[in-house]
Amino acid sequence: MIDAFTNLLRLVGSFFPPDLSAAYLRALLVPIAQTIGMAAAGMLIAFVLGVPLAVAIATRAPGHRLIVAALSALRAIPDLTLAILAVVVVGLGPAAGIVALALFYSAMVGRVYGDLFAAADAAPLEALRATGASRIAIAAYGLIPLTLPDLLTFGTYAFECAMRASIIVGAVGGGGIGTELAGTLSTLDFHRALTLVIVLVALVAGVDAFGILARRNPRLVLLLLPVGLISLWLYRPQIFAFAHAVHTFATMFPPHLRASQIASLPLLIAQTLAIAVGGTLLGALLAFPASLVAARRIVPFAVAVAVRRVFDVARAIPELVFGLILIVTVGIGPLAGALALGLHSAGVLGKLYAESLENVPAAPIDALAATGARRLPIVAFGFLPLALGPLVVHTLFRLEWNVRAATVVGLIGAGGIGQALYQAQQLFFYQQMLAYVLVTWGLVALSDWFGERLRLRLGWNFVAA
Amino acid sequence: MIEISGVRVVYGPGAPPALDDVTLQIAAGECVALVGPSGSGKTTLLRSLNGTVAIAGGSIHVDNVEVAQLRGRALRRLRTRLAMIAQQHDLVDRLTVVQNVMAGALGRWSTPHALRFLIAPTAAELAEARAALTAVGIPEKLRSRTNELSGGQRQRVAIARALVQHPTAILADEPIASLDPELGEQIVRLLCDLARERNLALLCSLHQVEFARRYFDRVVALVGGRVA
Ligand SMILES: Nc1ncnc2c1ncn2[C@@H]1O[C@H](COP(=O)(O)OP(=O)(O)OP(=O)(O)O)[C@@H](O)[C@H]1O
Ligand SMILES: [Mg+2]
Repeated sequence: MIDAFTNLLRLVGSFFPPDLSAAYLRALLVPIAQTIGMAAAGMLIAFVLGVPLAVAIATRAPGHRLIVAALSALRAIPDLTLAILAVVVVGLGPAAGIVALALFYSAMVGRVYGDLFAAADAAPLEALRATGASRIAIAAYGLIPLTLPDLLTFGTYAFECAMRASIIVGAVGGGGIGTELAGTLSTLDFHRALTLVIVLVALVAGVDAFGILARRNPRLVLLLLPVGLISLWLYRPQIFAFAHAVHTFATMFPPHLRASQIASLPLLIAQTLAIAVGGTLLGALLAFPASLVAARRIVPFAVAVAVRRVFDVARAIPELVFGLILIVTVGIGPLAGALALGLHSAGVLGKLYAESLENVPAAPIDALAATGARRLPIVAFGFLPLALGPLVVHTLFRLEWNVRAATVVGLIGAGGIGQALYQAQQLFFYQQMLAYVLVTWGLVALSDWFGERLRLRLGWNFVAA
Repeated sequence: MIEISGVRVVYGPGAPPALDDVTLQIAAGECVALVGPSGSGKTTLLRSLNGTVAIAGGSIHVDNVEVAQLRGRALRRLRTRLAMIAQQHDLVDRLTVVQNVMAGALGRWSTPHALRFLIAPTAAELAEARAALTAVGIPEKLRSRTNELSGGQRQRVAIARALVQHPTAILADEPIASLDPELGEQIVRLLCDLARERNLALLCSLHQVEFARRYFDRVVALVGGRVA
C-alpha cells in the first residue's frame, strides 16, 4: 500500500520540472498556433453555419423540425469520434481537426442559439414582424441584439470548449498541441508533457479572459474572422481534397460487425457506462466539499478565489489529457478512464456547484445567521436545501456529458466502445469502425434522451446546455 | 432589556445619516411599535441592534452588554438572544416545517448536533417544535412541507422559530407587510400576546399606525432617521 503510494508520488514527481528551455518553447510555437488556428477556424465555420440555422429554428422556417432533429443527432456524436472520422476521411493534420470542430460546434451553436432566440422577449419581435420584416431583418434588428449578452456568454464558453477539443482532436492526428502531447507521452518524455499541459491551461485561461473582454466590448469577437480565415487558407488544400474524402467515406459502408463482436457489445457498453458513472461520482464527491470553500458567501473571498483557481486548472485539462497522464501512473483500463473523467468533472462541477451556492436567495440565509448559527449549520440548513435543484441538475448534465467522454477516453486504452472504435480505425477496418460509431451515437442519444426525461420529471430543467 | 442611546448610522462617505441621534429603551415584556415612512431607517435600526449594521456613534446595550464591542463567538451568542422576524421570504422551502422551526436552536447547538438533527431528530426536539407550533396556533402543520404553507402560516412558523431561540427580545421588521389586513392583525396580536406572556421585549416595525396604537404599549415614529 505504502509502496504503491510512493510509486505514485515518484511517477507524479517524474513530470517535474517542466521543460521550459528556450529551444523547446520556440519549437512549440507552431503547434500552439495550429491549435489556436484550428479552434478559431472551427468556430468561425460553426458561427457561419450555426447562426442561420438557429434563426431558421427560432423563426419556425419551413423544415425547422428537421433541422432540430439533425442537429440533435449530430450533437450526439462525441467530438473525438467525429475527429477520428474526419482523420479517416480528410487525412492526418489540422484540416481534419477543423472539419471535426466545425461539425460538432455548428450543431451546438445551432441548437443552443436556437433555444436562446426562442426565449427572447416576444413583444419587440412581434412589432418587427408586424412591419413585414424578412427573417434576416428580424435576426439583425431583433433576435441578435435582444439576446446578445447570452450569445456572447455561450459563444465564449463554446470557444473555450473548442480549444480543449482541438487538443483531443490533435491526439488522434489532427495536429497542434494534442499531437505533440500524445508524442511526448508515448516516448515517456514527461517533462515536456508537463510543459504542454501548462501551455494548455494558459490557453484556456486566455480564452476565458478574452471572453470577459468580449462581453464588455463585443466587437472583439471580429478578431475571430482574420485568425479563422488565415488558418482556413493555410490548411485549404487538404480540406478540399474532395474526391479522396468521398472515396474513403464510401469504404465505410455498409457498417458491419462479426458475430463475436456483436456478442461482446453489451460488455463494451457496460464498461463505457461504468466509466461514465464512476467518473461522475468521483467528480461529484471531490467537487462537493471543495465547492463549499469556493463559494464567496460561505468563506472569505481570498479562500474562495484560491480554490476556484484549482477548479480552473482541472477544467482546463481535458479528460483525454488526464487519461494520457493517468495511464502511465495507474496503467491502462477502465480505472484510469474513470479517474480521468473524475478529475476533469471535479473542476467543472466544483465551479458550477459554487456558483449555485452563491446564487441562493439572501433572506433565508440572513435569517439563519441572525439566530447566531455557526457556519456549517447555516450551510446544512440553508445553502444546501436552497441550492439542491441546481446541484442535482448540474450533476445529471455532467453524467450525460461523461457518457460521451467515456467513449473518448476509450481510445487511450480505458476500454469500452471507444477503445473498440479506435482499434478498428487503426487497423483500417472502416466498416467495423462505422458500426461502432453508430453504437456510440445510439448510446449517447439514448442517455441524452433519458437525462432530459429525468430532469423534466424532477421539474428542474432550467440550466441551459 | 434594550438601551439605545444617541445612535448614528451612516452607510457611505458623504451619504446622509440613515439614523441620527436615536435614543430608545425597551423593557422586558414591553411591546414597542416602530412606524415611519419608507426610507426613514426602521430596518437600519433593527439591524443595528444585532450587530448586522455597524453604528458610527452612540451606543447599544442588550442585557447590559455593548453590541459594538462584540465579535465572533460573543456576537453569535448575542444573536441567539435577539430573534429576528422579517417579511415572509425567510424560510427555507425545501426543509420541513419542523426543520425550519428548530433552526431557531442553531445558535446553541454544536455543529455535530445540528447535522445529527437533520438526519435523526430526537423525541425531545420534536416535542419542542410541537410546543412552539402550538403557541403560534398551527400544531397541525408539524409534518407539513414548508412550500405548502400560506403566507400567514409562514409568518407563524417564523414566530415559532423565534420562540425556539429562547430570546430576550423579538425584533420584527414589517412582519405583516405582505399579508392581507385581517391576517396581519392576527399576527400582530399573536406577537404582542407572546411577548407579554413570556416577558420578552418586542420591537416591531409596521406601516399600519392603527394596529400600532391598538396593540402596542408604545409607538415610536422615525422620520428621516430621527425619532419624531
Ligand atoms: N445597505 C445600504 N446601503 C446604503 N444605503 C442604505 C442601505 N440600506 C438602507 N440604506 C439607506 O438608509 C436609509 C434608511 O433605510 P431603511 O431600509 O432603514 O428604511 P426603512 O424605514 O426600513 O424603509 P422601508 O419602510 O422602505 O423598509 C434609506 O435612505 C436607504 O436608502
Ligand atoms: Mg425596511
